[in-house]
Amino acid sequence: MNPLIRKGIRERLRVKQLVASVLFGLIVTSTFYLTSYLNGAQDQRIYNYQTKQNITIEGSAINGARSAFGVLLGVQGFFLMFLGTGRVASVTAEDKESGLLDYQRMTPMNPISKISGYLLGLPAREYFMFLLTLPFLLHCVTVAEIPWINVGQLYLVFFSSVILYHLTAHVTGLVVSKPRAASWISRVAVMGLYIFLPALSQAGISFLSFLTILPTYFGKIAPHLKMVGMPDLDHTYSPRGQLNAMKNKLSEFWQDVPFFHLEISPALFTFIMQALILTALLITAYRKWRNQSLPSFSKRSGLIMFAILQFLLLGSLWPFFAEGKASGLLGQTLSAGSLDSGYRAASGLMLVQSVFIGLSMVAIFTFINICCPDRDLYMKGVQRAEKQQLKRLPLLSDERSGLWPVCLLVVMTSTVHAVLIHLLQASSVWNESSAIIATVGVPFLVLLGTALYMQASRELWFNLGFVGFLALLWITPGLASMVIVAGWGDEFQGAVYRLLALCPLSVTPFHLLELYAETMQIQGGEQSLFQQVKWFGVVVCLGMATLLQLRLRKQRRPEDGDQKQGSDSN
Amino acid sequence: MIEVRDLKVHYGQHVAVDRMSFSVERGSVYGLIGPNGAGKTTTIKAIATLIEPTYGEIVVDGIPVLQQPEEARRKMGYMPDFPPVYDDLTVEEFCDLFAHAYGMVGQRKKDKVNECLEMTHLTDKKGELCKTLSRGMKQRALLAKTLVHDPSVLLLDEPGANLDPKARIDLRKLLRKLAQEGRTILVSSHVLTELQDLCDAIGIMREGTMVGSGSIDEVLSRSSPERIIRMEISTPNAELESVIATIPSISRLSALNQSGLEYEMSHEGDKVDAARVLEQLIKGGVPVCGFHLKQSKVEDLFLEVESGNRKGESPS
Repeated sequence: MNPLIRKGIRERLRVKQLVASVLFGLIVTSTFYLTSYLNGAQDQRIYNYQTKQNITIEGSAINGARSAFGVLLGVQGFFLMFLGTGRVASVTAEDKESGLLDYQRMTPMNPISKISGYLLGLPAREYFMFLLTLPFLLHCVTVAEIPWINVGQLYLVFFSSVILYHLTAHVTGLVVSKPRAASWISRVAVMGLYIFLPALSQAGISFLSFLTILPTYFGKIAPHLKMVGMPDLDHTYSPRGQLNAMKNKLSEFWQDVPFFHLEISPALFTFIMQALILTALLITAYRKWRNQSLPSFSKRSGLIMFAILQFLLLGSLWPFFAEGKASGLLGQTLSAGSLDSGYRAASGLMLVQSVFIGLSMVAIFTFINICCPDRDLYMKGVQRAEKQQLKRLPLLSDERSGLWPVCLLVVMTSTVHAVLIHLLQASSVWNESSAIIATVGVPFLVLLGTALYMQASRELWFNLGFVGFLALLWITPGLASMVIVAGWGDEFQGAVYRLLALCPLSVTPFHLLELYAETMQIQGGEQSLFQQVKWFGVVVCLGMATLLQLRLRKQRRPEDGDQKQGSDSN
Repeated sequence: MIEVRDLKVHYGQHVAVDRMSFSVERGSVYGLIGPNGAGKTTTIKAIATLIEPTYGEIVVDGIPVLQQPEEARRKMGYMPDFPPVYDDLTVEEFCDLFAHAYGMVGQRKKDKVNECLEMTHLTDKKGELCKTLSRGMKQRALLAKTLVHDPSVLLLDEPGANLDPKARIDLRKLLRKLAQEGRTILVSSHVLTELQDLCDAIGIMREGTMVGSGSIDEVLSRSSPERIIRMEISTPNAELESVIATIPSISRLSALNQSGLEYEMSHEGDKVDAARVLEQLIKGGVPVCGFHLKQSKVEDLFLEVESGNRKGESPS
């Protein structure tokens, strides 16, 4: 057995702790499971507000088990996903801070064994408590008559999600130095990656919803959890009926996933998505285990991951631009109304493109933050190159400036954007005829300018300077515009828009508002304001990029010389 | 053996170790000394592959550490200055974990763990949880863990820092024994008398640079040529200062107390020169009843380094 898993079992499952875990696990599980089961097994009366009559659903064991399944899954998730994730993040960071991780780093076990040892060993008690829930699960699935094959699929996805959450926590613990900060940041990272990001799937980027177990749950299990004897209910019924109606709607939501021209099963798609994130996290953990001082990602891995992200974005948005099909709320909106309604169609196009550009920008920011060298690393590179008598370091080495890789990211994003716009023009369902260059050009300039000034500021300053600069530039103007709007309403509309345009994320919506102004019935004056604001945003981005790039070049030249002189004199 | 060549380590813009070179022969104990912040721990961590140097070369038992860190790690046992242990493991489980991680299994692993616990006098504590141990005991448990995979190179950062006097003597004996068995030992310490007794060679560090390196005698002989002579006279002597003024190798005379009977002199020269000084004093009528040339110690050298008196000058 992996020594680290054995260590986890020894540390966390001694007799006293075992007794406490059994008591805690059984009390929590039996309380929630039995309450839900017994409640569901009783006759249920559902009131109809319209007819003012009750309908009665006859109580049965099968209904009890079906209503308890979700609760049981929640309890299991609480043990493994909530308690386990916190444990992995805080102990990893504690071990790193105390130096215990260094002992492990020096052993000849390969990094993958060490990572799996931490992932399975640290939450040993949580896994044990999960085992205590299995008799309840067995009872629930048998009585509720849920097909085992579907349960198997759900639990495969459940465990891959657990590993994903724990790996996220482990990587956070390895990257963040302070245990308390690591614990918080891991929670925020888990929430961001697996709750907020999936919410963007409602804007048509279907693949993001597959970061969680929800699609598999609603696609594979929920259809089998319908109460026996329960008619289809609508909003005219009391809350219990409405909940039931919502469940049915949700299970329709996550059926097969449209991707390019294919339809992929939700469980398979979830695996693909989770495998992608697992790979990214494993690369980071592997590098950190090998050498703590390495950046979390090499430039090469970063470029590959970005290319995969763009491929997934393209595949998810392909059906939307080619045929007007979209998943999530957007899909519902588009299918509910006809695409002939120009306003609705233009709004959908604007939303999807803004989310696409925004998401790509966040990915570029992440790449720059992780893969571009700060000042220290860059200077180390200069000294190493000098020592090894190299003219310059390899293009993708950690210490080399990230200028060219960042430009490549911008080109990738704009190419995908251009392909989507080409699909839009070729499609018969859309009535938009704006030229590719006119649509893609402005977002390209904004992306380029933003990426270049982010890269320059990353390499000019240390972490605090870089993050502080971006926060000031991107968030503060938004807050200021809120105050102005609250105080003076529309009086300073132009100023408010210009303030907002300082954040590059808002330039694309302004550009698209101007582009689709006619379809969206925007007045001439307002259209010209959007145009001015758009160009203001573009000029700010490009101006900042030029200024900071020049400053970076200026700073590096004399320092390289100084360094040379210093080393010569030594 | 350990060879460090032209090692440079940056922490941000701060240069922690600057172009340091030294080597430690197989079967010998090498002591790194220097004030806090001199770069001792950074050097040890760089050798242990736990810090990536800016540049430089480190070779451990013929293996280039920076190019083949995994292979080099198998050869090394590293013990940090502060002893972190897994609080909820027993001492035996703690050692067993590392024996297992280094690939030992079954009876061999058990025997090795017992042997290391025996060596560090922890056999009777092996069933106790690490969190119940005193700091000194934790240090011993850590040493047992460091030895469990039979490393040929030991990197020990302040190994005696938390030990009581008897445990320190035991540690010294153990390290000498390990060196005699052919292990290469690099140790840093502030307990300088221990280093003097333990080490075959020392390196003195200041502000990231090595200001002196070699055997203890070599380093001391290369240090400042000024020696202190302590002298006691039987009765106060008015001629003393005028006699001293005629001896060129004496640069300073100071009374140690108000009785005027005990003095200290700064003398430049060796033992033969000191004998000549004594001869001249007696010839000059000074009633010398005690005369002692103070031996320079590593401690003195350390104090010199710490106070920065040796700025711009290297004993090596």
